Amino acid sequence: MVRYLVSRLAVVIPVVLVVLLITFTLGFYAPGDPIMIIYGEDLYRLRPEDLARMRRNLGLDRPYWEQYLAYMGRTVRGDLGRSIASKVAVNRLLASSLPISLQLGLLAGVLLALVGIPLGVLAALRHNTWVDYLIVSLALVVRSVPVFVLAPLLLILLVLQLKIMDVPAGWRGIATPAVVLPVILLAAYPLADVIRQTRTGVLEVLQEDYVRTARSKGLTIMLIITRHVLRNALIPVVTSLGLIVNGLIHGSVYLDRIFNIPGFGNLVVSGIQRLDFPVILGTTVFSALLVIAANLVVDLIYPFLDPRVTYTGREGR
Amino acid sequence: MSQNHKLDLSHSAEGQSDAHDQMAGNRGLWRDAGRRLVRNRLSLVGIFVLSILFVLAIFGPSIAPYPFMEQNLKLISEPPSADHWLGTDQLGRDVLSRILWGARTATTVAIFVTTISLGVGIVLGGVAAFAGGMADWLIMRLTDVVMSVPSIMLALLVNTAIKKPVAIWFENIYEQTDWAFFRSTTFLDYLIVLGALAVVSFPGYARLIRGQILSLREREYVTAARSSGVPFTRILFRHVVPNALGPVIVAATFGFSGAMVMEASLSYLGIGIQPPAASWGAMINDSLMDWRYEPWLLAMPAIALAISALAVNYLGDGLNDALNPRIAAGGAAPERER
Repeated sequence: MVRYLVSRLAVVIPVVLVVLLITFTLGFYAPGDPIMIIYGEDLYRLRPEDLARMRRNLGLDRPYWEQYLAYMGRTVRGDLGRSIASKVAVNRLLASSLPISLQLGLLAGVLLALVGIPLGVLAALRHNTWVDYLIVSLALVVRSVPVFVLAPLLLILLVLQLKIMDVPAGWRGIATPAVVLPVILLAAYPLADVIRQTRTGVLEVLQEDYVRTARSKGLTIMLIITRHVLRNALIPVVTSLGLIVNGLIHGSVYLDRIFNIPGFGNLVVSGIQRLDFPVILGTTVFSALLVIAANLVVDLIYPFLDPRVTYTGREGR
Repeated sequence: MSQNHKLDLSHSAEGQSDAHDQMAGNRGLWRDAGRRLVRNRLSLVGIFVLSILFVLAIFGPSIAPYPFMEQNLKLISEPPSADHWLGTDQLGRDVLSRILWGARTATTVAIFVTTISLGVGIVLGGVAAFAGGMADWLIMRLTDVVMSVPSIMLALLVNTAIKKPVAIWFENIYEQTDWAFFRSTTFLDYLIVLGALAVVSFPGYARLIRGQILSLREREYVTAARSSGVPFTRILFRHVVPNALGPVIVAATFGFSGAMVMEASLSYLGIGIQPPAASWGAMINDSLMDWRYEPWLLAMPAIALAISALAVNYLGDGLNDALNPRIAAGGAAPERER
């Protein structure tokens, strides 16, 4: 176990370092001089020696590699820099926006499990009937149509045409009706993955000998599904956690703006609109770490889910 | 990853019959696939909508009732009428004309992004598979890195970061050559969006192509051909390429709609194609604030984008069923980031 963890980390750590290198390089050659961005027009009123001193203080006069090492050191210590626009540490911005996105994300995750898995099972049980086709094409719709298209169309339909809800906007806590639509839409993008994975998994397991045995000894279909099928069929769903986290980040970037939620996506978009590079770099690095961590967690719990897989190698079959 | 695994398994059973088709001049396989594709009603819808999209992208701007930039300040945010079928926007521009121009933007970006990233993917995947060793390791780690950053975040970062350097570079070229071409900011926007999207989408293709080559290389018919002295290039073009083509076509179709949506996403976030050029994403963005008062401004580009993306994915799904019958059985996007 420890050896496996070490070997996984040996793969993950270089990936993280290269991600940092890429983001740093892009930031290094990105628009503008940080000092210019901080001072704007006032820059021309500064004396050259003051300017040079400021560049030295910020470490901007040092060569590329030194700056990269300094950036890496800061990031490893958890310091993602300071927003140029608001002068607040990116960490603080993340700390204030993440809890909101986390609550929405968890709720969306629950919704994914409660809706996606039953739909996937149903589609597999009714394989090649209209129920199956309906569910599969529904999954294709929510996968193809981006949320920033789905959201406005739903708003027009629900608020203007059917008049069944007020404009859901803003953030007043998780237990308010305003979060219903954002959470549904947040779950929409990864929903297709969950349905598809569950469906394929169940279809595969249904053909196993032990399912036939269970059937022939007269177990009810419910019992077979819960005892035999789901346990095995859900392994691919759990292992696509990285994909789901990716989907939630994706959704947050678009939805926060539409519904005026001060979450992670809002931070990203405001960073981009102000060309606030520390914020853009910080959120990118953070989201990459989140996906990498999710995949690492999957790798670590995989052997517990599927005993055929050992820590020495994933291909146990 | 399990998807990949299955892909390999499913093909091995089919290997022999493929080889057979190969000897029969390769027609049977494609004709079969064509028949399966046409039988699927949804993929027919996909082909139909995609053809319309292409026709509109080519001829749309010339049949557009008004110039896409023409502002009529007496007719601001008008609902649909006989003169302006889809209404006018906040600056009094005809929405229908802008949607037609937007079709050109969406299709152009999607075609170029798919071609560029597929090309890069073929080169890198091919090198990784054939060279093996260090090159393979490096290329695969590169795809790991790119895929571990959520694609939208990476596209946003690349897009914002390379904008200024590329603009400066363009200005220099313009000053030296005096070609007006390099002063066009629209062309610049296109180039930056293409670059950003190609960066995020090449790893999927590279991995797919590497996997295809590695698994096809081990087939009996390739071994047989090799042992009977068939030259390498002939094996490549007679056996490997035709058999790898199916999954690649499917991936490219999903990639096409993916690129279309990503262009709209970047423009929606205000950093893709800049005004006054028309992009569906930017049109959605422009009208987002007024959705309660002028819903048609928001709905029209949104519907155009939704229909196009959905149709292309229906086609991709149909192609998947038709070209890879064993693995098919439902579900979009064969190869995506984890």
